[in-house]
Parts: sequence; structure tokens; C-alpha cells
Amino acid sequence: MFKKVLIANRGEITCRVAATLHEMGIRSVAVYSEADRGALHTRVCDEARFIGPPEARESYLNAEAIVRAATESGADAVHPGFGFLAENAAFAEAVEAAGLTFIGPTAAQIRAMGDKREARRLAEAAGVPIVPGAEGADGRALVRAANAMGYPVIIKAALGGGGKGMQAAHDAKHLAEAIEAAQRVAASAFGDAAVYVEKLLEHARHIEVQVLGDGRGRAVHVFERDCTLQRRHQKVVEEAPAPTLTADQRAIVTHAAVRLAEAVKYRGAGTIETLLTREGQVYFLEMNTRLQVEHPVTELVTGIDLVRAQLEIAATGKLPFEQHAIRRHGHAIEARLYAEDAARDFLPQVGTATRVRWPDGPFVRVDAGVESGDAVTVHYDPMLAKIIAYAPTREAAIERLLGALDDTRVHGVVTNLPFLRALLRAPAVRSGSYDTEWVEREFLAGFATLMRAPAPELALAAVAIAEASGAPVARSATPNGAARPIDPFAQLGRWRQQGLGE
Amino acid sequence: MKSFWRDGDRVREVELKSLDGGRWRVRVDDSEFELAAERMPDGKLRLVGESGVTVAEVTPEGARRFVRLGVLDFVLERETGGSRRAVGGTHDGGMEAPMPGVVTKVMVVVGDEVAKGQPLVALEAMKMEHLIRAPRPGRVKKVAASPGQMVQAGVALVELEADAG
Repeated sequence: MFKKVLIANRGEITCRVAATLHEMGIRSVAVYSEADRGALHTRVCDEARFIGPPEARESYLNAEAIVRAATESGADAVHPGFGFLAENAAFAEAVEAAGLTFIGPTAAQIRAMGDKREARRLAEAAGVPIVPGAEGADGRALVRAANAMGYPVIIKAALGGGGKGMQAAHDAKHLAEAIEAAQRVAASAFGDAAVYVEKLLEHARHIEVQVLGDGRGRAVHVFERDCTLQRRHQKVVEEAPAPTLTADQRAIVTHAAVRLAEAVKYRGAGTIETLLTREGQVYFLEMNTRLQVEHPVTELVTGIDLVRAQLEIAATGKLPFEQHAIRRHGHAIEARLYAEDAARDFLPQVGTATRVRWPDGPFVRVDAGVESGDAVTVHYDPMLAKIIAYAPTREAAIERLLGALDDTRVHGVVTNLPFLRALLRAPAVRSGSYDTEWVEREFLAGFATLMRAPAPELALAAVAIAEASGAPVARSATPNGAARPIDPFAQLGRWRQQGLGE
Repeated sequence: MKSFWRDGDRVREVELKSLDGGRWRVRVDDSEFELAAERMPDGKLRLVGESGVTVAEVTPEGARRFVRLGVLDFVLERETGGSRRAVGGTHDGGMEAPMPGVVTKVMVVVGDEVAKGQPLVALEAMKMEHLIRAPRPGRVKKVAASPGQMVQAGVALVELEADAG
């Protein structure tokens, strides 16, 4: 097993990976940019290395600086987390060229699945049904293909993924604008303006299968997740198992996923994303060659630490367990907490998370990237934390998650907490009757009305009295976190939950 | 003592009068009531009114106050001098950057006649592209954005000539 692992990422996923490294007795190395000096992810690792200016391009996307940090720190492996360089084949190659292990798939696999057009071809070859779609040399060819296929369609970046830069078009009139916008985001985000068009499957659910492969042609699945609750193709709530999936559908989708992973001799943890139509058909969307944001729900229902599995596969080239040993029990559900103003079209927010309180309690898990006093900057993704609850049934898991959200308090930066709370209380969510477009089509209008309601008079009274009664309400932290409000228990770190502090 | 607070797209007026024994006479807009307020050791406010006891937690951050009442959060912003300017981003209909980001495309030049809803500038921040559209028809008077430029929230990117009418 590795002695020291560098985590080429920031925020909550770095903290998450570090927790497993810590448990396994492996030393952890964080990297940080100028904007993240003193950030939580640098505090939870055994050491931290400076890699560059705030702009991601010059720090977290700077392969050379990260490989240098790994070499200088004496790490023997690199875990990429998700986002940033996690699906960058050249980075995987650079890590291996430096004599270190890349904890993930091979560069060739990243490259093949990273080109979504190539991924579609591989899935089709493995006998996995793909969404009807077309490639085109230019915008005009795509328009012709869309006209032939019928609307609505969705434009996706060839080298994209994770919902970024996707644009739907419901008629030919809006298609040109959608193609142009998708190309623009694709060029700036993925360095290649190539896009392709797919039929937009309406009233579908997003079902994805977690797989682990040994890199030699054997793979297992770790069941599925349902990530149907999305806003603008960005997942907001994820759960396992998928509530509407029948046993037959589950068998079909998990077998297809294993077949694809084995066909490409996949190495490490990956996710096969599919759409389940109202008619019960499953279509391949894409394969993500990394750990997913929503991996904790799988961990909670199977008891499998997916980061540990990644490390074991990378170190030994073997699957840590056989398919029959992977069992599922109960229900887990996750909500993504973003620094976004739900009252103003979910605009990303920046500022200082002056006072943060995360929920705890039995069967509640929080994967957080910030604590009180930490800065939320314009440079990176606005996800602050994931709050996850586990219970024997879906209904109980939702109740528990709602309780956990009630106990969550982030002051200093506006978050989407009101949105998450309202969403999980919606009757359609409780009954499981929604699709990937439901949030925007049916939920948001009513939610906006709720958000426009005036604050209760008591809230205004509280603010005015707090102001008038003079006493310091809370020490406001400076953006670099120099003046943290002191919470004595926060200093106890992981001991706190075990009741060993003080 | 009077204070004004932005609450979403409205401005609320609060008038406070200190009474004996930690009690306050409060007027919020047109509604008046009395409250007893006590600051607890952890800094939270314990408010006792006719409808019962509520614990409030107020965190200041610049002009903003994050308020937690029970399990609900609200964000109010101090308005100095009772000014009633519009919220950033909706000023004159949204030609300001609504969030900090990078300008990815400028679609108009000075002198262009634009239609209501026409895209003017594309802004990218945190995984999203945001199109800034013309709030009304008019002629472009000034363009203060160029591709690649990093802008802060509230910065005016395009100005239209004043309404002819």
C-alpha cells in the first residue's frame, strides 16, 4: 500500500479523501492556491504544498506544479478527486511519467470516455443502448441532424461532462443560439469547441451505476444511484437505491454497466450514467472516469468505502471484493449545499462563511469543505458541502435529511439551503414521482413565490434589536480567515463526535 | 430609532423604542408589537412576545444580517438613510454583472439598436454561462466589457441611451 498520497484537489473532496488516508495510516498531502491559503482542506491533511495563483488554470489545473509538489513531498501516488484534473489524460500520464501512481483509470481510458462521441461508440459496441444522437462538423450539420431527429434536442460538449455547458433546444429557432452558447462554454471549459447533438429524452430519470474495475477485464458494480433531481442539468439531490427502479430494470442496467467496464478493461472507480425513460427503456449517457460527487450514498447503503477501494485497486491491481459480497441495505439520500442565492436565479455567491454549524447525529454524514471563517471565492465551484442521511427506508431517510438540514446553519454567505428544504418537502419528491426536468418545469415557480414572501416581522425585530443592543453579535471574520470566531469544540476535530474532548 | 432593511426586492422599516426591563416596543412597517429580548451567553437573542419564545441568531457580514429564527434563515441588508435603490442586477433592468465572473462574449457595439431581451454580454462564472439581455429596446450608449475581462458583481457592463419618451 502507498505511504503518502497527494490529493490534487481542494474543498470537500480533498477532506473526504484525506479521511480515508488517515484511517488507513497513509500520509496525506494537500495542494493549495493563493486563494486557499489556510483553507480547511489544507488543515486536515498532514502537509500542504503551495501550487500557484488563485486562477484554477494556474494552480489546480496546473499539472506541472502539482506533479512537482507530489515529487517534492515524496508522495508515491496522486488521487485526483473529481473536477479539475480528475479526467485529464495528460495529467494521468504526467503523474505516471514522474514515477508515481495515478489513482484512477489509465490515460487511454480517460481519453476514450472523455470524448463523449467515442464513449457512445464504445457503449454501443458493448451492447449498451445509447441515446439517439449525431455528430456534425459544424453548426449547420448539427441543425440538419436535429431537424431530422425531431425536437427537443440537447447540445453537449464532446469533451464535456457533468452537465457543464449543456444547452437544450425545443425548436429549430433556438438551436443556433444553443449551439453557439454550448460551443463557447466548451471552448473555454474544455479547450475544444466540438459539440454533438442528442435527442432530449423527456420525462426520464437519471440512473447511474457505480463500477469498480481491476484494469484487466474484470469489473463489479456497487449498485445504482438516482440523481433525477436536477436544476439546469446540475444534480442537487441524489439517492440510493433508485426508488422507482424495478428489479428487472436494476438487473439490466447494472449488467450493462459491468459489460461496458469489462469491455474497456476499466481500472478503478467509474460511473456509468444512464437515462431511464417513462417507458422503462435504459439509455447510456456517458461514463465518468472518476469518483462522483454523490459517491457517499453508495457508501452508506453498501458499507463500502469507495476511496479505500480506489486505493486498493491502484496499489494491487485487484478488486478488493467479489460481486456476491457486495450487498445493499436501507436507503441513503444526499443534498448538495451550494453558495447560491435561490431568490436571485441561483446566482453563485462569494463571501466569508462567518458562522457555520454542520448537523450531526446518528446516520447523518457531512462532507464539508468549509468551517466557520472560511472564504468562498469566485475562483472555484460554489459547492460548500454535501449533507447525507441514511435510514432503513426512503421515507425515513428523507425525514432524517430534513432534520439535518434544519440543524445546518451557514451565515455570512447565502446558500441554497431554503431551496433544499423546500424541495425535500415537496409531495412529488416524497412520492418519487418526478423526472430530470421536474424541478424547473413544476417546482421552481412555486418556490420563487415562497422566496418572494416577506421575512417575518420577528426577523426584522431581531436584527434591529441586535443592532440597538450594541453587544457584538459575532465577530466578523476577515476573508483570509485570520479572525475566526472561536468555537472551542471545533478545535477538537474528530474527537468531538466520540465524546472524548475535554 | 428607525432603521431600513432590504428584504428581497422590498425595503422594510423598523422602529424601536426601548422600554424598561429589556422590553422593546417594535414597529415593523405598519405593524406594532412588544417584545422582551435577552442576550444569551452564546450571543443568541431570546425573544419573548405574545406568540411565545423564539431564539434568534443574528450574524452581521458587511451590510448584511443573516438571521436564523428557529430553523429558518433570512438575509436582510441594511439600507442607510432609508434609500430605496434597486437591488444590484435589476438596476435599470439588468445590464450589470449579476455575479463576479469572466466576460466570454460581447455581442453589441456602441450605436447598436437592440430589442428587448436581446443578448448583450455573455458572462461565465462557476460552471454557468449567464446571458445579460437588454431590459428594453434602445441604442447602446456604452460598452464596458471585453472578452476575457474579469468583472465584479454590480459592475455596469452595457449602458443604453435614455428612453426617448
